[in-house]
Amino acid sequence: MKKVTYIEAITQALDEEMARDERVFLIGEDIGLYGGVFKATKGLMDKYGAERVIDSPISEVYIAGGSVGAAMVGMKPVPEIQFADFITPSMDQIIQQMAKLRYRTAGQWTCPVTMRVCCGADVGGGLYHSQINEQWFVSQPGLIVVMPATPYDAKGLLKAAIRGEDPVIYFEHKRLYRWIKEEIPEDDFTVPIGKAAVRKKGNDITIVSYGLMYHRAAEAVTALEKDGISAELIDMRTLLPWDRETIFESVKKTSRAVLVQESSKTGGVMGEVGAAIAEEIFDYLDAPVTRVCGIDVPAVPFAPPMEHFFLPNADKISRAVKKVLEY
Amino acid sequence: MPANTKSAGKTALAETGLSEQTLMGLYTNLLKTRLLDERFRKLFRQGRFAGTYFSAVGQEATTVGPTYGLRDDDIIAPSHREIGANVTKGVPIEIIAAQVYARGNSPDKGKSHPCHYGWRPKGVITPASTVAGQTIIGTGCAMAFRIQKKDNVVVAFFGEGSTARGGWHEALNYAGIYKLPIVYVCQNNLWAESVPATLAAGITDFADRAKAYGFPGVTIDGNDIVTVHKTAADAIAKARSGGGPTLIECKTYRWYGHSEIDPADYRAQEELEAWKKKDPVLRAEKLLTDLGLLTTEKREAMVEQISAEIDAAIDSVDKAPYSAPEEAYNDVYSAQFPVRRDEY
Ligand SMILES: Cc1ncc(C[n+]2csc(CCOP(=O)(O)OP(=O)(O)O)c2C)c(N)n1
Repeated sequence: MKKVTYIEAITQALDEEMARDERVFLIGEDIGLYGGVFKATKGLMDKYGAERVIDSPISEVYIAGGSVGAAMVGMKPVPEIQFADFITPSMDQIIQQMAKLRYRTAGQWTCPVTMRVCCGADVGGGLYHSQINEQWFVSQPGLIVVMPATPYDAKGLLKAAIRGEDPVIYFEHKRLYRWIKEEIPEDDFTVPIGKAAVRKKGNDITIVSYGLMYHRAAEAVTALEKDGISAELIDMRTLLPWDRETIFESVKKTSRAVLVQESSKTGGVMGEVGAAIAEEIFDYLDAPVTRVCGIDVPAVPFAPPMEHFFLPNADKISRAVKKVLEY
Repeated sequence: MPANTKSAGKTALAETGLSEQTLMGLYTNLLKTRLLDERFRKLFRQGRFAGTYFSAVGQEATTVGPTYGLRDDDIIAPSHREIGANVTKGVPIEIIAAQVYARGNSPDKGKSHPCHYGWRPKGVITPASTVAGQTIIGTGCAMAFRIQKKDNVVVAFFGEGSTARGGWHEALNYAGIYKLPIVYVCQNNLWAESVPATLAAGITDFADRAKAYGFPGVTIDGNDIVTVHKTAADAIAKARSGGGPTLIECKTYRWYGHSEIDPADYRAQEELEAWKKKDPVLRAEKLLTDLGLLTTEKREAMVEQISAEIDAAIDSVDKAPYSAPEEAYNDVYSAQFPVRRDEY
């Protein structure tokens, strides 16, 4: 087993899937000659050529729509959106075409596109280089939305997405690229889409999160342990369709839940998870389900004090947990 | 050219078709832009401000030329590399510096990005990072000027790479249909991040695109301030008098990386060296010297004065505080809709 970073895990997954299946190709801005602005595709153009690692013009509409077309005639496109902030031009193609293709053609055509979207704050990227906008996609059935938090999951989920038959929006967090290192198997493996991971067992409260916030939640869990609080920690991994069983089972056991997401509270993933808990297992709850989220403003502000003010962190999560336990 | 005699100077001056005052004005803005830009690069490398910095060194003429002579109530729609347009439109250096440093006294109070300059008093639209976005918005401003029956104009700036976006085409198409009072300035610096212009479009002259929208497109030497200013001034006058849009493509080059964190190792050193020889600031300097408008002493005095102005601005932003973190909650809606504040 070798230690790899989150971004190395992504590169490995792309490399191995391209070697395994000649239908797989990449398209995106600066991904070829330059190897990607974060170097996720480094070396792949040399290895697979300019027809399978395509440097695109600044054409997010085409990056998405062209991928749909290619998928329809037998390819497995893996387009990259350089910054999640710039996915908006693609929305028409993603929402109207990609997500609905199977449904509106009664399965005559399918859309196995894996769209890699580089997202997230805590990197000093500024208002238009820090957004995390998974909430725009989780309201669209027909799409699969995943967001790995660890190198193992980054690799396993990406491989599973590419091998699948459905359109996947694969969010990768730029703060995690070089921060997180982990030993992962050298043999081929995938991580099942639709399954959450219980990262730590606990009895007093369930904390659910994903992406970078999973790590902030883990920091909180460690801190809470010192105060004698035993929290169960769940990493959702797949945000649509999400793993209701694992989360419900845990909340039934602990009777309390704190849900953590990086994006603004309103209309977010945790609003859905919280509502589902309230709707389906209300009787098991001993306290209101509580969310810790990015603040409700239009985007992550740039100046460092404001950026940190925007984001959830271990302290905010710990305080929320204690409040719920005191209820 | 036997330049230093006064009469020879006069003749050549007439050849430029520009007044002494205009030429000096253009040069002052070129010099100011260059000195400020180089200073920011240095300050970023010293870690004095966060984020990154998008230098426009090497392509100053493409932003100064079209902006010089605009009225305060004309709009410019810049992108991320248009420090020269801001300087020339008259945005004070302190304001530009506060933006770069993301301080609380910046026009956006530190919310957006260091290179998203924008300042309402001088009609500078703060760019959104989605490239070409401001071109589309700028076209909307021109549409409004038409409806309001005003004679204001809009000058929209963008790189050649941005012209690949669908929205860019939609805006120009609309402007062509309604003959809007707008001038589009494409700064073709040959590179969009790491992507060469040859991979941004199947044409070499981006001005050719105007044909599809029914208005003129011209390709010019973007490093020649006289040509850029005259071409743009003519197009602006035409737009102001109801003659419709023009697309001006300025061939130019950026000397440094896409931003200061990009070593630009995707391009050949020879290409850079060749373009450095076409430095638009040195070229203007030579012209003005030949015309007898500029001497070494005069230039040095100008550099000294501008540098002092820059020093003072940097000094003041160095001392200026960031906004309080709670500023993050402000300006989401008008005051009647307060934002929910979560306490944990
Ligand atoms: C819609 C969108 N896609 C991608 C990006 C990332 N990006 C920022 S600048 C840039 C290149 C722009 O090139 P060009 O328009 O030629 O301007 P230049 O940087 O050369 O001045 C890219 C790809 C973006 N800002 N917006």
